[in-house]
Amino acid sequence: MSTLIMIDQASYGTWSGREALDMTFSLAAFDQPASLLFTGAGVIWLKRAQDTAGIAQKSVEKNLSAAPIFGIEAILADRSACQKYGLDETSLITGVTLVDANRALLDQYDHTAFAG
Amino acid sequence: MADTSPETFTLVITGAPYSSQAPQTALGFARAAVDAGHRIARVFLYGDGVHLASALCTPPSDETHWPKEWASFLEHHGIPGIACIASALRRGLVNEAERKRYALPGSNLLHPFEIAGLGEWVEGRRTSARTLYFHAGG
Repeated sequence: MSTLIMIDQASYGTWSGREALDMTFSLAAFDQPASLLFTGAGVIWLKRAQDTAGIAQKSVEKNLSAAPIFGIEAILADRSACQKYGLDETSLITGVTLVDANRALLDQYDHTAFAG
Repeated sequence: MADTSPETFTLVITGAPYSSQAPQTALGFARAAVDAGHRIARVFLYGDGVHLASALCTPPSDETHWPKEWASFLEHHGIPGIACIASALRRGLVNEAERKRYALPGSNLLHPFEIAGLGEWVEGRRTSARTLYFHAGG
């Protein structure tokens, strides 16, 4: 059963994205195929060289870079949202695949969920 | 004609009581599903949803006590209600075992809720026809 966990809120403003990430890692730990899709303001998660010292939060960039090691199949980002937020290949972390977040994409998964 | 064959559901609640509608919408769904002959395999509280399992919620007497409503529904139907341990500990929801482990001044997990890991959610998804999420929205 393949699962797509979607994050559509910017990093650091709420905890729901971090908890969505935990869900995805947990699926991978139990050998369930899982991928992440960042849409809307959620694409901010994928910005390269995040410095969180000023807000006393752990950077999500390190968590995301560990995703392939933990068996998460793909980190997907909605192409139009990246354009809207001024993110391209040079400003995104490595390992991100740009996609069109549409029905055809969601149909490739048995289970899709937002974490909050 | 609608298909009425029995289904098994896992419910995930991520919205807190008294700040979101999620727990009561989920309870409305759960009651309707059970009344229609379906089965709720388990209810998983995640993120802010763990506040639903607090034994210390004390709403005014003219408001519905959502933790107690949920607890009595779970008990009556023998449905496991599980709060994610990572979400719970961050938000100050602890059972006796965690109180001892972290030397905390008290515990506040409402019976019959339990505390366990995300593996319970993974297992619920695997064994249910559908997993439904009740979020705070906004």
